Amino acid sequence: MSSTSQHLLLSPAELAYLHGSLSLITPGPIRPDGRSPTQFRPLTAETGILPGTNGSARICFADGTEAVVGVKAEVEKTPVPPYEFVASTEGRKGHSSAPKKSSRKSKKTTTEDEEISMDVDEDDEEAAGVNEKARVSPDWVELSVEIPGLRDDDSGTVFLTSMLTEALLADGEFVKKLWINRRFHWKLYLDIILISPPLSYPLPLLSLTTHLALLATRLPRLKSEADEDPMFDDDWAAATFLYPRQDTTSAKASNKSPKQPSAAAAAAPASRPPITLLVMAVGDNIIFDPSKEELAVADSAVAVSVAEGPSSETEPESESIPATSTKRNLHLLSVRTIDPPSRLTPPGVPNSVNAAAWGTMTAATPTTTTAATAPANESGAAKHPDARVTETEDVVGVWKAPRGGAKFGMLGAMVAKVLERGGVAEEVLDGLEGVDLT
Amino acid sequence: MADRRRINGPVGATTPPIFDKPAGPAAAKTRDAIRKIFLKTGITPSASGSAYLELENPNPQRPGNTSLKLSCTVHGPRSLPRSAPFSPHIILTTHVKYAPFATRQRRGYLRDSSERDLGVHLETALRGAIIADRWPKSGVDIISQKDDEGWDMMNVLSGCITVASAAIADAGIDCVDTVAGGVAALVCKDDKTAPTIVMDPVVAEHDSILAACCVAYLPTRDEITNMWFKGRLPGADMMVYDKLMEKSLVACRCANRVIVQELNETVKKGQGIS
Repeated sequence: MSSTSQHLLLSPAELAYLHGSLSLITPGPIRPDGRSPTQFRPLTAETGILPGTNGSARICFADGTEAVVGVKAEVEKTPVPPYEFVASTEGRKGHSSAPKKSSRKSKKTTTEDEEISMDVDEDDEEAAGVNEKARVSPDWVELSVEIPGLRDDDSGTVFLTSMLTEALLADGEFVKKLWINRRFHWKLYLDIILISPPLSYPLPLLSLTTHLALLATRLPRLKSEADEDPMFDDDWAAATFLYPRQDTTSAKASNKSPKQPSAAAAAAPASRPPITLLVMAVGDNIIFDPSKEELAVADSAVAVSVAEGPSSETEPESESIPATSTKRNLHLLSVRTIDPPSRLTPPGVPNSVNAAAWGTMTAATPTTTTAATAPANESGAAKHPDARVTETEDVVGVWKAPRGGAKFGMLGAMVAKVLERGGVAEEVLDGLEGVDLT
Repeated sequence: MADRRRINGPVGATTPPIFDKPAGPAAAKTRDAIRKIFLKTGITPSASGSAYLELENPNPQRPGNTSLKLSCTVHGPRSLPRSAPFSPHIILTTHVKYAPFATRQRRGYLRDSSERDLGVHLETALRGAIIADRWPKSGVDIISQKDDEGWDMMNVLSGCITVASAAIADAGIDCVDTVAGGVAALVCKDDKTAPTIVMDPVVAEHDSILAACCVAYLPTRDEITNMWFKGRLPGADMMVYDKLMEKSLVACRCANRVIVQELNETVKKGQGIS
């Protein structure tokens, strides 16, 4: 964090002014760029820019920061844990006299083996279904973040990577989408590249770009069945979206081929990938999507990840009303406090203790004549009575880096503000829905 | 003449050793407190501050289920190298390191991304507690090492925060308060029963953990310096989330009591000697 947002050249006086205007209560916070506290920076977004990927997106914020995300998928063999292998062969002994252990273990299976294992599978599909689905692994997703000017093992970059990964994996729903059959799965590589220098904390930008890239990700349609070696349809037009969408304009819900969304609300996915929002608090104000300057005076900053689950309404209802008006079913996935760079800002010195501003003299003005004759061994605190005050208390108009943490209620309010109905998360999701997914 | 070429058995009759049966696994009672913590400061003489933390092992019979052991050393405050640019604050560097034998799979000497991630969390938690502007132009390194295996990330982090807080106090670095870490989790036995919130969860004891929350807390200021929540909460309401946070704050307070007690003992010992 500290390294991604260094080189901020604001004097203590400027910081104090910024903090003062952001913590105003009566007219609300006044932000340097004139936004309202919940307003995002305008952005341009496009998807499908990289032809060699399964899905890609680019987002450019108005301040000039720009990120590109490419999603690549590979088929990978699922390793069978040894105890599971034993359990499955024991379970099969009742069905077939010969132990058919090779069907799951080895890639080369005879058709005879396959047949037997197939009908056995159908028998214990019910029982095994839960276990099989549970055998997904978070290793199936690999995420890399690249920020220019930073090493990829820099702690700030690692923190960003783990935060984005955590949001994807927190509810365990995402990896289930990568399950092909018992023996194979998709391995998804997400490569997130910030093209521009990190002008502001890049987390919201990277998260939104990843969101769009995942929405645009398509996987080839599976032609093989059950536990066969996977065979895929060559036709890219028949590829299915990773996040399948229900078509609300036409009633052909069973049609698997993806549609080009003509209108924004035409195709709304049932569930959507997570987004991570950056929220900060200054005084009692909660401010979304802070710029670099605003973050430099934050009292506390929090990254909140939310995802939209399938909406609670039943199918016919959601077909009758347009997708934009359906209420979203938001889930909280992860929350992390972020070390605000304000803790690294230089403190200001109040005039009362600043020798250059004759502050030490003014402290002693009532006894100007005796000040010279004061004993030399007087302690520093007694010499400067204001020094102790500035050390412990805030002086109006003098910047001091925040100490301590955030109040419990403030952290809760920040999260609640993200999740609330009609709140910022919904607004962002609505905005991203307008992006044409190609 | 005695036969000295062979190793003979004992002359008299022997009784084979009889091993006492270990007590059965304690009934999975819902603890209303965190596991017992052993905390000791000043264990590394070469460091300016150090501490060692060990967590009680709830079921010691199980093989490979050992308790969490953490050691932390604080080097500094010391002056920055001449080549470093001016800093108005103390420069805090935190490392969380797993010992090579600390995990089921041996770890190499190089730190991997999860250790770096924990290091950032620890840094965030401590930076709020340390009064950084009292040491311009100086640096401090905090190294937490995890010496034993079998615990998940959040428990390790909360332990790291607690032990680092004690080590910082041992090093005599000014803090606004002793920060302590605590974990609470939303666990469920199976699909039928309603999930419950437990303090300081033992991962092996619970079938599935739905969500967990790790908090670093300053009790006297009533402020949270670091919070890490992940998982999936049923429903979008904030009630469960708030309760989870409250429980982890209680865990923090318990851990903080251990720190304060240990520091008091250290102070008393120091007064007794001099």
